[in-house]
Amino acid sequence: MSLSKEDVAGIADYARIALSDDELEQMLGYLNGAVELLEPIRHFDLGGVEPTFHPIGDLSNVMREDRAGAYGRGLSLGEALKNAGSARERYFRVPSILGEGGDR
Amino acid sequence: MSSLDELSAAEIAVGVREGAFSAEEVARAALDAIDQREGEVAAFLQVSNELALNVARATDAARLRGEELGPLAGVPCGFKDNMQLLGTRTTCASRMLENYESNFTATCVGRMLAAGVTPVGKTNMDEFAFGSSTESSAFHRSNNPWDTTRVPGGSSGGSAAAVAAGEATLCLGSDTGGSIRQPASFCGVVGMKPSYGVVSRCGVVAFGSSLDQVGPFGRSVGDVALAMDALVSGGADPFDASSQACEAGFLSALEAPVEGRRVGVVPQLMEMEGLSDEVKDGIRLAERVLEDQGAQLVEVELPHIASAIAAYYVIAPCEAFSNLARFDGVRYGYQEPGCATLDEQTARSRAHGFGEEAKRRQLLGAYLLSSGSYDKYYYPAQQVRTLITQDYLRAWGSCDVILMPCVPRCAFKFGEMSDPTQMYASDMFTISNNIAGNCGISVPLGLGPDSCMPLSAQLQGPAFKDQSLLSFARALERGLDLGRGLGAGAPVAPGFAKRGGEL
Repeated sequence: MSLSKEDVAGIADYARIALSDDELEQMLGYLNGAVELLEPIRHFDLGGVEPTFHPIGDLSNVMREDRAGAYGRGLSLGEALKNAGSARERYFRVPSILGEGGDR
Repeated sequence: MSSLDELSAAEIAVGVREGAFSAEEVARAALDAIDQREGEVAAFLQVSNELALNVARATDAARLRGEELGPLAGVPCGFKDNMQLLGTRTTCASRMLENYESNFTATCVGRMLAAGVTPVGKTNMDEFAFGSSTESSAFHRSNNPWDTTRVPGGSSGGSAAAVAAGEATLCLGSDTGGSIRQPASFCGVVGMKPSYGVVSRCGVVAFGSSLDQVGPFGRSVGDVALAMDALVSGGADPFDASSQACEAGFLSALEAPVEGRRVGVVPQLMEMEGLSDEVKDGIRLAERVLEDQGAQLVEVELPHIASAIAAYYVIAPCEAFSNLARFDGVRYGYQEPGCATLDEQTARSRAHGFGEEAKRRQLLGAYLLSSGSYDKYYYPAQQVRTLITQDYLRAWGSCDVILMPCVPRCAFKFGEMSDPTQMYASDMFTISNNIAGNCGISVPLGLGPDSCMPLSAQLQGPAFKDQSLLSFARALERGLDLGRGLGAGAPVAPGFAKRGGEL
């Protein structure tokens, strides 16, 4: 079953990438081609086979002390903000989160 | 007077240590070579002149103070532009990160610096490492130094090209499905993907977190061994949970004889569609070289290897989609101006910051992780991963390494591979290694009689038998004269050798 343009628009929305109509069309061709390449994965007898999500088993979370600047890896305010597209005083600046309007 | 590009990493480090030349002189020679050659190679996204000279001067000052210098003192080294290095941008060859200034230095880069290297710049790559030709770089293409109408491979194409053109003695790259080994093969240099967990990924922009591994490029196996010793020194990295403590000693294990040890060959792989005759002949040559040194060839089977492409192109895009979700245009990265809402800003920043292939991979990942597809593709791909891993485990019961092609054919021409899924299929010999977390290396075999382009053999070894793998790679190198004499490693591409870089 191949994907429709509406499917691709839904995927792009989920991926939060605003695609033009032309791009949606190109992506449709690509995705259907790529999914076809993946088809063999559905034709193996995989009954009883455990998945391997990671090449190294037995990994556990590394817990650290909850302290700012611990291990010398904290960024100063200036460093933390220097790559932001928009900042004001101590903060990253973003447009309205809930609907339109507000401080832009 | 000699040209810097004729010296090995070890020779440079010894020369600096003994005062035959200073690290600053080496740095100036390297920057001069880059200046003379870069116009035709375009391997770098950023040449770090000032940083290189400052680091080299610090190396010289340390020597004057009587301090012991590192094993890579003064060695010019480039870093793939997905590795953070303070004082440089880290762009991943993407408009998304065009102006991103590194906030810290990646562990792998820091360990090379601790061993004494002089950082000469950041090398070009496919955008976010999505590709096999470096053509998806948002900034410019890089050319194969052996024939500038051909691609250097990818995604670490800039790193491979810089070493092949003699612009750097060593470079680091990263390999998620072949992105070190394939460009090494195309450019006629040695490129090693260590076992997953050997090298810390901290500070390397993530693509596929269960597949990514950093490794070195060099013109000889010995240079690669020196770099590996630097990368594992200091033990497990507390900033990468998957990083494992691995013993240094790559250099001392290098000359371990292969006599009586077993080299697996996989007849089924030699029959793969698209494998060129000259590559097949190259693998037979490699078999003879290893046999002549007393290694024993044994046939092994990897029955599920043909399914590796499908498994990889499920797992890798899913992990990439999840990793690249962080690029929302707020904390860093391209931010679309004039958007009314955060939703709009996010979607437009991502649409305009990412290039074509980066969008393709993320959409594929988004689709595969959506409900319904997960059970159809994602979960089965992880089960296939188990089967591939088990194939290898069975094979390791009867051999120490497996010898196989790295790529089906030599470097292709620009634009020749225009269909992305055709490009994906060309990764068939490298991908299974990442899926299983094993180690692999591409070793140059010299030029193909038909293409007159570099060919290579790939050796794969069991996870964490990286030192053993390197000793087989050295055995192969030992039996070949690639133009510098028997066992002396690969030459700089002839069009670039000795152009600038006088020391």
